Amino acid sequence: MSARWEPIALWMRARWGPIALWATLLVFPFIVQGSDSAAFFQDVGANLILAAIAASAWNIVGGYAGQVSVGHAIFFGAGAYVPLLVYTLWEVPPLLGLPLGIAVAVLIALGIGMPSFRLQGHYFSMATIAVAELVRLVVGNWDLLGAAIGIQGPATPRGWWDLIFRSSMPYYYIFLGVLAVTLSLTYAMERSRFGYYLRAIRAGERAARSLGVPVRRTKLKALMLSAALTATAGSLYAFKVGFVNPESGLGILVSVQMIIVAALGGAGTLYGPLIGAIVLVPLQSATNTWFGGGGSGLTFILYGGIIVILARFEPGGLLELWRRLAARVFHAA
Amino acid sequence: MLLETQDVSKAFGGFVALAEVSLSVESNEIVGLIGPNGAGKSTFFNCIAGDLAPSDGCIRLDGVDITHEPPEARARLGIGRTFQVPATFEDMSILENVMVGAFLRHPHARDARSKAIDVLRLTGLEAQSAQPARSLGTPGRKRLEIARVLATEPRLLLLDEALAGLTPVEIQSAITLVRKIHALGITIVIVEHIMEVILTLAARVLVFNQGRTIAQGRPADVVSDPKVIEAYLGHHHGRRARRRT
Repeated sequence: MSARWEPIALWMRARWGPIALWATLLVFPFIVQGSDSAAFFQDVGANLILAAIAASAWNIVGGYAGQVSVGHAIFFGAGAYVPLLVYTLWEVPPLLGLPLGIAVAVLIALGIGMPSFRLQGHYFSMATIAVAELVRLVVGNWDLLGAAIGIQGPATPRGWWDLIFRSSMPYYYIFLGVLAVTLSLTYAMERSRFGYYLRAIRAGERAARSLGVPVRRTKLKALMLSAALTATAGSLYAFKVGFVNPESGLGILVSVQMIIVAALGGAGTLYGPLIGAIVLVPLQSATNTWFGGGGSGLTFILYGGIIVILARFEPGGLLELWRRLAARVFHAA
Repeated sequence: MLLETQDVSKAFGGFVALAEVSLSVESNEIVGLIGPNGAGKSTFFNCIAGDLAPSDGCIRLDGVDITHEPPEARARLGIGRTFQVPATFEDMSILENVMVGAFLRHPHARDARSKAIDVLRLTGLEAQSAQPARSLGTPGRKRLEIARVLATEPRLLLLDEALAGLTPVEIQSAITLVRKIHALGITIVIVEHIMEVILTLAARVLVFNQGRTIAQGRPADVVSDPKVIEAYLGHHHGRRARRRT
Protein backbone atom coordinates (compact mmCIF):
# COMPACT_ATOMS: atom_id res chain seq x y z
CA MET A 1 0.00 0.00 0.00
CA SER A 2 1.48 3.35 -1.02
CA ALA A 3 2.00 6.13 1.48
CA ARG A 4 -0.58 8.33 -0.20
CA TRP A 5 -3.38 5.96 0.81
CA GLU A 6 -2.09 5.22 4.29
CA PRO A 7 -4.55 7.62 5.98
CA ILE A 8 -7.44 5.93 4.22
CA ALA A 9 -6.21 2.53 5.30
CA LEU A 10 -5.97 3.75 8.87
CA TRP A 11 -9.36 5.35 8.60
CA MET A 12 -10.78 2.08 7.36
CA ARG A 13 -9.05 0.10 10.06
CA ALA A 14 -10.66 2.37 12.66
CA ARG A 15 -13.89 0.55 11.86
CA TRP A 16 -15.80 3.68 10.94
CA GLY A 17 -18.14 1.53 8.90
CA PRO A 18 -19.87 -0.10 11.88
CA ILE A 19 -19.87 3.18 13.82
CA ALA A 20 -21.55 5.05 10.95
CA LEU A 21 -23.98 2.16 10.51
CA TRP A 22 -25.07 2.17 14.15
CA ALA A 23 -25.30 5.97 14.23
CA THR A 24 -27.55 5.94 11.16
CA LEU A 25 -29.75 3.23 12.62
CA LEU A 26 -30.06 5.17 15.88
CA VAL A 27 -31.31 8.36 14.25
CA PHE A 28 -33.18 6.82 11.31
CA PRO A 29 -36.74 7.21 12.72
CA PHE A 30 -36.06 10.92 13.35
CA ILE A 31 -34.57 11.47 9.89
CA VAL A 32 -37.77 10.28 8.25
CA GLN A 33 -39.97 12.03 10.83
CA GLY A 34 -40.58 15.03 8.56
CA SER A 35 -41.65 12.95 5.59
CA ASP A 36 -45.28 12.48 4.54
CA SER A 37 -44.90 8.73 4.91
CA ALA A 38 -42.97 8.82 8.20
CA ALA A 39 -45.12 6.08 9.73
CA PHE A 40 -44.54 3.85 6.72
CA PHE A 41 -40.76 4.37 6.75
CA GLN A 42 -40.58 3.74 10.50
CA ASP A 43 -42.58 0.56 10.05
CA VAL A 44 -40.24 -0.64 7.29
CA GLY A 45 -37.33 0.25 9.60
CA ALA A 46 -38.73 -1.87 12.42
CA ASN A 47 -39.34 -4.80 10.06
CA LEU A 48 -35.82 -4.39 8.75
CA ILE A 49 -34.29 -4.60 12.22
CA LEU A 50 -36.46 -7.62 13.03
CA ALA A 51 -35.32 -9.39 9.85
CA ALA A 52 -31.73 -8.58 10.80
CA ILE A 53 -32.19 -10.13 14.26
CA ALA A 54 -33.67 -13.34 12.82
CA ALA A 55 -31.01 -13.61 10.11
CA SER A 56 -28.21 -12.93 12.63
CA ALA A 57 -29.62 -15.70 14.81
CA TRP A 58 -29.71 -18.09 11.84
CA ASN A 59 -26.19 -16.97 10.92
CA ILE A 60 -24.67 -18.57 14.03
CA VAL A 61 -25.50 -22.09 12.92
CA GLY A 62 -26.12 -21.56 9.20
CA GLY A 63 -23.30 -19.12 8.55
CA TYR A 64 -20.47 -19.63 11.03
CA ALA A 65 -20.96 -23.39 11.45
CA GLY A 66 -22.04 -23.87 7.82
CA GLN A 67 -25.03 -26.04 8.79
CA VAL A 68 -27.69 -24.64 6.46
CA SER A 69 -30.94 -25.06 8.35
CA VAL A 70 -34.09 -24.43 6.33
CA GLY A 71 -36.25 -25.12 9.37
CA HIS A 72 -35.60 -22.09 11.53
CA ALA A 73 -39.26 -21.13 11.17
CA ILE A 74 -39.90 -23.70 13.92
CA PHE A 75 -37.90 -21.62 16.41
CA PHE A 76 -39.39 -18.36 15.13
CA GLY A 77 -42.84 -19.93 15.41
CA ALA A 78 -42.19 -21.15 18.96
CA GLY A 79 -41.18 -17.63 19.91
CA ALA A 80 -44.26 -16.14 18.23
CA TYR A 81 -46.86 -18.67 19.36
CA VAL A 82 -45.96 -19.14 23.02
CA PRO A 83 -46.42 -15.49 24.18
CA LEU A 84 -49.77 -15.24 22.38
CA LEU A 85 -50.77 -18.64 23.77
CA VAL A 86 -50.07 -17.66 27.39
CA TYR A 87 -52.15 -14.55 26.80
CA THR A 88 -55.02 -16.55 25.28
CA LEU A 89 -54.97 -19.09 28.11
CA TRP A 90 -54.37 -16.92 31.18
CA GLU A 91 -54.60 -13.31 29.95
CA VAL A 92 -51.09 -12.58 31.22
CA PRO A 93 -48.97 -10.07 29.27
CA PRO A 94 -47.44 -11.76 26.20
CA LEU A 95 -44.04 -10.50 27.37
CA LEU A 96 -44.13 -13.18 30.09
CA GLY A 97 -44.29 -15.81 27.38
CA LEU A 98 -40.94 -14.71 25.93
CA PRO A 99 -38.69 -16.80 28.22
CA LEU A 100 -41.06 -19.73 27.87
CA GLY A 101 -40.96 -19.44 24.08
CA ILE A 102 -37.16 -19.41 24.19
CA ALA A 103 -37.16 -22.49 26.42
CA VAL A 104 -39.50 -24.34 24.04
CA ALA A 105 -37.31 -23.40 21.05
CA VAL A 106 -34.13 -24.58 22.78
CA LEU A 107 -35.75 -27.89 23.68
CA ILE A 108 -36.94 -28.35 20.09
CA ALA A 109 -33.41 -27.51 18.89
CA LEU A 110 -32.06 -30.25 21.12
CA GLY A 111 -34.62 -32.70 19.78
CA ILE A 112 -33.93 -31.81 16.15
CA GLY A 113 -30.17 -31.46 16.47
CA MET A 114 -29.40 -34.77 18.14
CA PRO A 115 -30.57 -36.96 15.26
CA SER A 116 -30.20 -34.58 12.31
CA PHE A 117 -26.58 -33.60 12.94
CA ARG A 118 -25.72 -37.16 12.00
CA LEU A 119 -26.54 -35.92 8.50
CA GLN A 120 -24.19 -33.69 6.56
CA GLY A 121 -24.56 -30.97 3.96
CA HIS A 122 -27.71 -31.04 1.87
CA TYR A 123 -29.13 -33.98 3.81
CA PHE A 124 -29.17 -31.89 6.96
CA SER A 125 -30.93 -29.04 5.09
CA MET A 126 -33.55 -31.41 3.68
CA ALA A 127 -34.22 -32.93 7.09
CA THR A 128 -34.83 -29.48 8.56
CA ILE A 129 -37.28 -28.58 5.77
CA ALA A 130 -39.20 -31.80 6.41
CA VAL A 131 -39.44 -31.24 10.16
CA ALA A 132 -40.50 -27.61 9.71
CA GLU A 133 -43.27 -28.49 7.25
CA LEU A 134 -44.44 -31.24 9.58
CA VAL A 135 -44.64 -28.79 12.48
CA ARG A 136 -46.54 -26.28 10.31
CA LEU A 137 -49.11 -28.93 9.36
CA VAL A 138 -49.54 -30.13 12.95
CA VAL A 139 -50.00 -26.60 14.31
CA GLY A 140 -52.41 -25.83 11.45
CA ASN A 141 -54.66 -28.57 12.77
CA TRP A 142 -54.22 -27.96 16.47
CA ASP A 143 -57.22 -26.15 17.98
CA LEU A 144 -55.34 -25.02 21.10
CA LEU A 145 -53.01 -23.04 18.81
CA GLY A 146 -55.89 -21.65 16.73
CA ALA A 147 -55.44 -24.22 13.96
CA ALA A 148 -55.38 -22.66 10.49
CA ILE A 149 -56.74 -19.31 11.73
CA GLY A 150 -54.02 -18.59 14.27
CA ILE A 151 -54.07 -16.83 17.63
CA GLN A 152 -53.88 -13.22 18.68
CA GLY A 153 -52.73 -11.05 21.56
CA PRO A 154 -54.58 -8.35 23.47
CA ALA A 155 -56.63 -6.10 21.17
CA THR A 156 -56.09 -2.98 23.27
CA PRO A 157 -53.17 -2.35 25.63
CA ARG A 158 -53.93 -2.83 29.34
CA GLY A 159 -50.63 -1.15 30.20
CA TRP A 160 -47.19 -0.54 28.72
CA TRP A 161 -46.26 -4.13 29.57
CA ASP A 162 -48.55 -5.42 26.84
CA LEU A 163 -46.12 -3.77 24.41
CA ILE A 164 -48.83 -2.44 22.14
CA PHE A 165 -47.97 0.88 20.57
CA ARG A 166 -49.71 2.77 17.80
CA SER A 167 -46.46 4.04 16.34
CA SER A 168 -43.71 1.75 15.05
CA MET A 169 -41.10 3.90 16.78
CA PRO A 170 -41.06 2.10 20.15
CA TYR A 171 -40.84 -1.25 18.35
CA TYR A 172 -37.99 0.08 16.26
CA TYR A 173 -35.93 0.94 19.33
CA ILE A 174 -36.80 -2.24 21.23
CA PHE A 175 -35.76 -4.27 18.17
CA LEU A 176 -32.59 -2.22 17.77
CA GLY A 177 -31.66 -3.00 21.39
CA VAL A 178 -32.21 -6.72 20.83
CA LEU A 179 -30.17 -6.54 17.61
CA ALA A 180 -27.33 -4.90 19.54
CA VAL A 181 -27.42 -7.71 22.10
CA THR A 182 -27.53 -10.36 19.35
CA LEU A 183 -24.59 -8.89 17.47
CA SER A 184 -22.59 -8.40 20.69
CA LEU A 185 -23.08 -12.08 21.49
CA THR A 186 -22.01 -12.98 17.96
CA TYR A 187 -18.99 -10.69 18.25
CA ALA A 188 -17.89 -12.32 21.51
CA MET A 189 -18.51 -15.74 19.99
CA GLU A 190 -16.38 -14.93 16.94
CA ARG A 191 -13.40 -14.29 19.19
CA SER A 192 -13.83 -17.29 21.47
CA ARG A 193 -12.89 -20.94 21.13
CA PHE A 194 -16.54 -21.70 20.32
CA GLY A 195 -16.44 -19.38 17.29
CA TYR A 196 -13.15 -20.79 16.00
CA TYR A 197 -14.51 -24.31 16.38
CA LEU A 198 -17.66 -23.42 14.40
CA ARG A 199 -15.59 -22.05 11.52
CA ALA A 200 -13.31 -25.09 11.63
CA ILE A 201 -16.38 -27.35 11.42
CA ARG A 202 -17.63 -25.45 8.39
CA ALA A 203 -14.22 -25.74 6.71
CA GLY A 204 -13.81 -29.48 7.32
CA GLU A 205 -15.33 -31.74 9.94
CA ARG A 206 -12.78 -34.49 9.58
CA ALA A 207 -9.83 -32.16 10.09
CA ALA A 208 -11.64 -30.42 12.96
CA ARG A 209 -12.20 -33.72 14.77
CA SER A 210 -8.55 -34.68 14.31
CA LEU A 211 -7.64 -31.52 16.24
CA GLY A 212 -9.89 -32.47 19.13
CA VAL A 213 -12.98 -30.41 18.21
CA PRO A 214 -16.06 -32.12 19.67
CA VAL A 215 -18.00 -31.62 16.45
CA ARG A 216 -21.48 -32.80 17.37
CA ARG A 217 -21.54 -31.13 20.77
CA THR A 218 -20.33 -27.85 19.27
CA LYS A 219 -22.95 -27.93 16.50
CA LEU A 220 -25.66 -28.69 19.03
CA LYS A 221 -24.59 -25.75 21.22
CA ALA A 222 -24.67 -23.49 18.16
CA LEU A 223 -28.14 -24.68 17.18
CA MET A 224 -29.47 -24.10 20.70
CA LEU A 225 -28.02 -20.58 20.89
CA SER A 226 -29.34 -19.84 17.41
CA ALA A 227 -32.78 -21.21 18.33
CA ALA A 228 -32.96 -19.05 21.46
CA LEU A 229 -32.20 -15.88 19.47
CA THR A 230 -34.55 -16.86 16.63
CA ALA A 231 -37.33 -17.43 19.17
CA THR A 232 -36.67 -13.96 20.56
CA ALA A 233 -37.17 -12.57 17.07
CA GLY A 234 -40.41 -14.56 16.81
CA SER A 235 -41.68 -13.12 20.10
CA LEU A 236 -40.85 -9.57 18.99
CA TYR A 237 -42.81 -10.23 15.81
CA ALA A 238 -45.78 -11.41 17.88
CA PHE A 239 -45.63 -8.33 20.12
CA LYS A 240 -45.63 -6.00 17.14
CA VAL A 241 -48.17 -7.72 14.92
CA GLY A 242 -50.28 -9.12 17.76
CA PHE A 243 -51.27 -12.09 15.69
CA VAL A 244 -49.70 -15.24 14.29
CA ASN A 245 -50.93 -18.02 12.00
CA PRO A 246 -49.20 -21.11 10.63
CA GLU A 247 -48.10 -19.27 7.48
CA SER A 248 -46.68 -16.13 9.11
CA GLY A 249 -45.07 -17.97 12.03
CA LEU A 250 -44.07 -21.32 10.62
CA GLY A 251 -44.20 -21.02 6.81
CA ILE A 252 -41.18 -21.99 4.78
CA LEU A 253 -40.89 -18.36 3.63
CA VAL A 254 -39.96 -17.44 7.21
CA SER A 255 -36.96 -19.79 7.12
CA VAL A 256 -36.03 -18.83 3.58
CA GLN A 257 -36.09 -15.12 4.42
CA MET A 258 -33.52 -15.62 7.18
CA ILE A 259 -31.24 -17.50 4.77
CA ILE A 260 -31.59 -15.00 1.93
CA VAL A 261 -31.04 -12.00 4.19
CA ALA A 262 -27.91 -13.56 5.75
CA ALA A 263 -26.53 -14.87 2.46
CA LEU A 264 -27.18 -11.60 0.63
CA GLY A 265 -25.10 -9.61 3.10
CA GLY A 266 -22.60 -12.38 3.80
CA ALA A 267 -23.20 -15.58 5.77
CA GLY A 268 -20.69 -16.23 8.51
CA THR A 269 -19.84 -12.56 9.00
CA LEU A 270 -20.89 -10.31 11.88
CA TYR A 271 -22.61 -7.59 9.83
CA GLY A 272 -23.66 -9.67 6.83
CA PRO A 273 -27.23 -10.29 8.01
CA LEU A 274 -27.78 -6.64 8.93
CA ILE A 275 -26.49 -5.46 5.54
CA GLY A 276 -28.68 -8.06 3.83
CA ALA A 277 -31.75 -6.82 5.72
CA ILE A 278 -30.97 -3.19 4.89
CA VAL A 279 -30.99 -4.07 1.18
CA LEU A 280 -33.72 -6.70 1.04
CA VAL A 281 -36.47 -5.50 3.38
CA PRO A 282 -37.00 -2.08 1.76
CA LEU A 283 -36.90 -3.79 -1.63
CA GLN A 284 -39.61 -6.19 -0.47
CA SER A 285 -41.74 -3.40 0.96
CA ALA A 286 -41.36 -1.44 -2.26
CA THR A 287 -42.44 -4.32 -4.47
CA ASN A 288 -45.35 -5.08 -2.17
CA THR A 289 -46.45 -1.45 -2.24
CA TRP A 290 -46.11 -0.97 -5.99
CA PHE A 291 -47.72 -4.23 -6.95
CA GLY A 292 -50.38 -4.38 -4.27
CA GLY A 293 -50.70 -6.29 -1.03
CA GLY A 294 -50.92 -9.61 -2.81
CA GLY A 295 -47.22 -9.37 -3.56
CA SER A 296 -46.26 -12.58 -1.79
CA GLY A 297 -45.86 -14.32 -5.13
CA LEU A 298 -43.50 -11.54 -6.09
CA THR A 299 -41.49 -12.11 -2.92
CA PHE A 300 -40.78 -15.63 -4.13
CA ILE A 301 -39.62 -14.29 -7.48
CA LEU A 302 -37.40 -11.77 -5.72
CA TYR A 303 -35.87 -14.48 -3.51
CA GLY A 304 -35.34 -16.75 -6.49
CA GLY A 305 -33.60 -14.00 -8.42
CA ILE A 306 -31.34 -13.20 -5.49
CA ILE A 307 -30.40 -16.87 -5.05
CA VAL A 308 -29.47 -17.15 -8.72
CA ILE A 309 -27.43 -13.95 -8.75
CA LEU A 310 -25.62 -14.76 -5.48
CA ALA A 311 -24.82 -18.33 -6.46
CA ARG A 312 -23.54 -17.29 -9.85
CA PHE A 313 -21.61 -14.11 -9.09
CA GLU A 314 -20.95 -13.59 -5.41
CA PRO A 315 -21.43 -16.54 -3.05
CA GLY A 316 -19.69 -14.53 -0.32
CA GLY A 317 -22.44 -11.88 -0.32
CA LEU A 318 -22.36 -8.09 -0.48
CA LEU A 319 -19.80 -7.64 2.31
CA GLU A 320 -17.33 -9.86 0.45
CA LEU A 321 -17.98 -7.91 -2.76
CA TRP A 322 -17.37 -4.64 -0.93
CA ARG A 323 -14.15 -5.93 0.65
CA ARG A 324 -12.85 -7.01 -2.72
CA LEU A 325 -13.76 -3.73 -4.40
CA ALA A 326 -12.29 -1.70 -1.53
CA ALA A 327 -9.08 -3.72 -1.62
CA ARG A 328 -8.82 -3.18 -5.37
CA VAL A 329 -9.44 0.56 -5.14
CA PHE A 330 -7.01 1.20 -2.28
CA HIS A 331 -4.30 -1.23 -3.39
CA ALA A 332 -4.34 -0.16 -7.01
CA ALA A 333 -3.48 3.39 -6.10
CA MET B 1 5.27 -48.51 25.51
CA LEU B 2 3.52 -45.47 24.07
CA LEU B 3 1.49 -47.04 21.28
CA GLU B 4 0.63 -50.67 20.88
CA THR B 5 -1.52 -52.29 18.22
CA GLN B 6 -2.37 -55.93 18.61
CA ASP B 7 -3.60 -58.00 15.66
CA VAL B 8 -5.42 -55.06 14.10
CA SER B 9 -7.48 -56.10 11.08
CA LYS B 10 -9.77 -54.18 8.80
CA ALA B 11 -12.06 -55.61 6.16
CA PHE B 12 -14.19 -53.61 3.72
CA GLY B 13 -16.92 -56.07 2.84
CA GLY B 14 -15.07 -59.15 1.66
CA PHE B 15 -11.83 -57.30 1.00
CA VAL B 16 -9.24 -57.62 3.76
CA ALA B 17 -7.30 -54.36 3.70
CA LEU B 18 -5.42 -55.10 6.87
CA ALA B 19 -4.68 -58.46 8.49
CA GLU B 20 -3.46 -58.84 12.06
CA VAL B 21 -0.97 -56.00 12.20
CA SER B 22 0.89 -55.70 15.47
CA LEU B 23 3.19 -52.80 16.23
CA SER B 24 4.76 -51.39 19.36
CA VAL B 25 6.14 -47.88 19.40
CA GLU B 26 8.39 -46.73 22.22
CA SER B 27 8.38 -43.17 23.46
CA ASN B 28 10.46 -40.84 21.31
CA GLU B 29 10.91 -43.31 18.44
CA ILE B 30 10.48 -42.52 14.75
CA VAL B 31 8.77 -45.43 13.04
CA GLY B 32 8.24 -45.56 9.29
CA LEU B 33 5.41 -47.38 7.54
CA ILE B 34 6.27 -48.25 3.95
CA GLY B 35 4.98 -50.49 1.21
CA PRO B 36 3.63 -50.35 -2.32
CA ASN B 37 0.32 -48.67 -3.20
CA GLY B 38 -2.69 -50.37 -1.68
CA ALA B 39 -0.58 -52.26 0.84
CA GLY B 40 -2.70 -51.09 3.78
CA LYS B 41 -0.45 -48.36 5.21
CA SER B 42 -3.11 -45.70 5.10
CA THR B 43 -5.78 -48.05 6.43
CA PHE B 44 -3.55 -48.89 9.37
CA PHE B 45 -2.73 -45.21 9.86
CA ASN B 46 -6.40 -44.28 9.92
CA CYS B 47 -7.13 -47.03 12.43
CA ILE B 48 -4.56 -45.50 14.80
CA ALA B 49 -5.90 -41.98 14.23
CA GLY B 50 -9.47 -43.12 14.87
CA ASP B 51 -10.94 -42.35 11.46
CA LEU B 52 -11.54 -46.04 10.82
CA ALA B 53 -12.73 -48.58 13.35
CA PRO B 54 -10.74 -51.82 13.12
CA SER B 55 -12.81 -54.93 12.39
CA ASP B 56 -10.72 -56.79 14.91
CA GLY B 57 -7.80 -56.27 17.24
CA CYS B 58 -6.87 -53.75 19.87
CA ILE B 59 -5.11 -50.37 19.96
CA ARG B 60 -3.58 -49.11 23.19
CA LEU B 61 -2.04 -45.78 24.12
CA ASP B 62 0.02 -45.95 27.33
CA GLY B 63 -1.58 -49.30 28.02
CA VAL B 64 -5.11 -47.85 27.84
CA ASP B 65 -7.46 -49.38 25.28
CA ILE B 66 -8.49 -46.68 22.78
CA THR B 67 -9.81 -48.96 20.02
CA HIS B 68 -13.28 -47.44 20.19
CA GLU B 69 -12.42 -43.83 20.96
CA PRO B 70 -13.42 -41.26 18.32
CA PRO B 71 -10.71 -39.08 16.70
CA GLU B 72 -11.46 -36.04 18.89
CA ALA B 73 -10.93 -38.10 22.06
CA ARG B 74 -7.66 -39.44 20.68
CA ALA B 75 -6.53 -35.88 19.99
CA ARG B 76 -7.21 -35.05 23.62
CA LEU B 77 -5.19 -38.12 24.68
CA GLY B 78 -2.23 -36.86 22.68
CA ILE B 79 -2.46 -38.40 19.21
CA GLY B 80 -2.06 -35.88 16.39
CA ARG B 81 -2.26 -36.55 12.67
CA THR B 82 -1.85 -34.90 9.30
CA PHE B 83 -3.76 -35.78 6.14
CA GLN B 84 -2.46 -37.22 2.90
CA VAL B 85 -4.36 -34.52 1.00
CA PRO B 86 -3.93 -31.41 3.14
CA ALA B 87 -7.18 -30.49 4.91
CA THR B 88 -6.39 -26.94 5.97
CA PHE B 89 -9.25 -24.56 6.83
CA GLU B 90 -9.10 -22.58 3.59
CA ASP B 91 -11.01 -19.42 4.54
CA MET B 92 -9.27 -18.98 7.86
CA SER B 93 -5.90 -17.28 8.21
CA ILE B 94 -2.79 -19.33 8.91
CA LEU B 95 -2.74 -18.07 12.48
CA GLU B 96 -6.42 -18.96 12.93
CA ASN B 97 -5.81 -22.46 11.55
CA VAL B 98 -3.13 -23.05 14.14
CA MET B 99 -5.25 -21.47 16.89
CA VAL B 100 -7.95 -24.10 16.31
CA GLY B 101 -5.35 -26.69 17.27
CA ALA B 102 -4.04 -24.63 20.19
CA PHE B 103 -7.54 -24.25 21.68
CA LEU B 104 -7.44 -27.95 22.64
CA ARG B 105 -5.17 -27.27 25.60
CA HIS B 106 -5.69 -23.49 25.90
CA PRO B 107 -9.38 -22.61 26.14
CA HIS B 108 -8.78 -18.86 26.29
CA ALA B 109 -8.19 -17.05 23.01
CA ARG B 110 -5.20 -15.08 24.32
CA ASP B 111 -3.33 -18.21 25.47
CA ALA B 112 -4.25 -20.07 22.28
CA ARG B 113 -2.93 -17.19 20.21
CA SER B 114 0.42 -17.07 21.97
CA LYS B 115 0.76 -20.86 21.72
CA ALA B 116 -0.06 -20.65 18.00
CA ILE B 117 2.52 -17.93 17.46
CA ASP B 118 5.18 -20.09 19.16
CA VAL B 119 4.34 -22.97 16.84
CA LEU B 120 4.35 -20.74 13.75
CA ARG B 121 7.80 -19.56 14.72
CA LEU B 122 9.00 -23.16 15.07
CA THR B 123 7.59 -24.18 11.71
CA GLY B 124 8.73 -21.06 9.88
CA LEU B 125 5.26 -19.83 8.94
CA GLU B 126 5.38 -16.75 11.15
CA ALA B 127 5.78 -14.25 8.31
CA GLN B 128 2.62 -15.42 6.52
CA SER B 129 0.47 -15.80 9.65
CA ALA B 130 -2.17 -13.25 8.58
CA GLN B 131 -2.70 -14.70 5.10
CA PRO B 132 -5.59 -17.06 4.39
CA ALA B 133 -4.62 -20.73 4.22
CA ARG B 134 -5.82 -20.89 0.62
CA SER B 135 -2.95 -18.61 -0.42
CA LEU B 136 -0.47 -21.40 0.32
CA GLY B 137 0.81 -23.98 -2.15
CA THR B 138 1.13 -27.69 -1.39
CA PRO B 139 4.40 -27.45 0.60
CA GLY B 140 2.98 -24.58 2.66
CA ARG B 141 -0.23 -26.47 3.32
CA LYS B 142 1.64 -29.54 4.50
CA ARG B 143 3.70 -27.35 6.78
CA LEU B 144 0.56 -25.63 8.07
CA GLU B 145 -1.01 -29.01 8.84
CA ILE B 146 2.04 -29.93 10.86
CA ALA B 147 1.92 -26.58 12.68
CA ARG B 148 -1.79 -26.97 13.40
CA VAL B 149 -1.40 -30.42 14.91
CA LEU B 150 1.73 -29.42 16.88
CA ALA B 151 -0.41 -26.76 18.54
CA THR B 152 -2.51 -29.54 20.08
CA GLU B 153 0.67 -30.60 21.92
CA PRO B 154 0.62 -34.25 20.83
CA ARG B 155 2.80 -36.95 22.31
CA LEU B 156 2.42 -39.10 19.23
CA LEU B 157 2.46 -37.50 15.80
CA LEU B 158 1.16 -39.42 12.79
CA LEU B 159 2.43 -38.02 9.49
CA ASP B 160 0.59 -39.26 6.39
CA GLU B 161 2.88 -38.65 3.41
CA ALA B 162 3.80 -35.25 4.73
CA LEU B 163 6.57 -35.02 2.16
CA ALA B 164 4.92 -36.40 -0.95
CA GLY B 165 4.79 -33.99 -3.86
CA LEU B 166 7.59 -31.78 -2.58
CA THR B 167 10.71 -30.81 -4.52
CA PRO B 168 14.07 -32.12 -3.27
CA VAL B 169 14.85 -28.78 -1.65
CA GLU B 170 11.49 -28.68 0.09
CA ILE B 171 12.00 -32.28 1.22
CA GLN B 172 15.26 -31.32 2.88
CA SER B 173 13.65 -28.49 4.81
CA ALA B 174 10.73 -30.76 5.75
CA ILE B 175 13.15 -33.39 7.05
CA THR B 176 14.82 -30.72 9.16
CA LEU B 177 11.40 -29.80 10.56
CA VAL B 178 10.58 -33.42 11.42
CA ARG B 179 13.92 -33.73 13.20
CA LYS B 180 13.17 -30.55 15.15
CA ILE B 181 9.81 -31.95 16.19
CA HIS B 182 11.42 -35.22 17.23
CA ALA B 183 13.95 -33.28 19.31
CA LEU B 184 11.02 -31.84 21.29
CA GLY B 185 10.37 -35.35 22.56
CA ILE B 186 7.47 -36.15 20.27
CA THR B 187 7.14 -39.72 19.02
CA ILE B 188 6.55 -39.95 15.28
CA VAL B 189 4.92 -42.54 13.05
CA ILE B 190 5.41 -41.63 9.42
CA VAL B 191 3.86 -43.09 6.28
CA GLU B 192 6.03 -42.38 3.29
CA HIS B 193 6.55 -43.42 -0.28
CA ILE B 194 9.94 -41.84 -0.72
CA MET B 195 12.56 -44.35 0.49
CA GLU B 196 15.19 -41.65 0.88
CA VAL B 197 13.06 -39.91 3.50
CA ILE B 198 12.38 -43.06 5.49
CA LEU B 199 16.01 -44.11 5.38
CA THR B 200 17.22 -40.80 6.79
CA LEU B 201 14.48 -40.35 9.38
CA ALA B 202 13.20 -43.62 10.77
CA ALA B 203 15.15 -45.84 13.13
CA ARG B 204 12.72 -48.65 12.47
CA VAL B 205 10.38 -49.41 9.58
CA LEU B 206 7.41 -51.65 9.07
CA VAL B 207 6.88 -52.92 5.52
CA PHE B 208 3.33 -53.58 4.35
CA ASN B 209 2.23 -55.72 1.46
CA GLN B 210 -1.31 -56.82 0.68
CA GLY B 211 -2.55 -55.90 4.14
CA ARG B 212 0.18 -57.73 6.07
CA THR B 213 3.49 -56.69 7.54
CA ILE B 214 6.15 -58.60 5.68
CA ALA B 215 9.24 -57.16 7.33
CA GLN B 216 10.23 -55.05 10.26
CA GLY B 217 13.52 -53.64 11.48
CA ARG B 218 16.30 -51.18 10.73
CA PRO B 219 15.76 -49.48 7.36
CA ALA B 220 19.11 -50.66 5.95
CA ASP B 221 18.31 -54.30 6.71
CA VAL B 222 14.76 -54.07 5.48
CA VAL B 223 15.59 -52.69 2.05
CA SER B 224 17.86 -55.64 1.31
CA ASP B 225 15.24 -58.16 2.47
CA PRO B 226 14.25 -60.27 -0.60
CA LYS B 227 10.60 -60.26 0.45
CA VAL B 228 10.59 -56.46 0.46
CA ILE B 229 12.29 -56.23 -2.90
CA GLU B 230 9.80 -58.69 -4.29
CA ALA B 231 6.88 -56.66 -2.98
CA TYR B 232 8.21 -53.48 -4.56
CA LEU B 233 9.76 -54.76 -7.77
CA GLY B 234 8.14 -58.14 -8.46
CA HIS B 235 9.21 -61.81 -8.41
CA HIS B 236 12.08 -61.50 -10.81
CA HIS B 237 14.04 -59.02 -8.72
CA GLY B 238 13.13 -60.84 -5.54
CA ARG B 239 14.62 -64.07 -6.84
CA ARG B 240 17.78 -62.30 -7.92
CA ALA B 241 18.20 -60.75 -4.51
CA ARG B 242 17.65 -64.10 -2.85
CA ARG B 243 20.36 -65.70 -4.98
CA ARG B 244 22.81 -62.99 -4.01
CA THR B 245 22.36 -63.52 -0.30
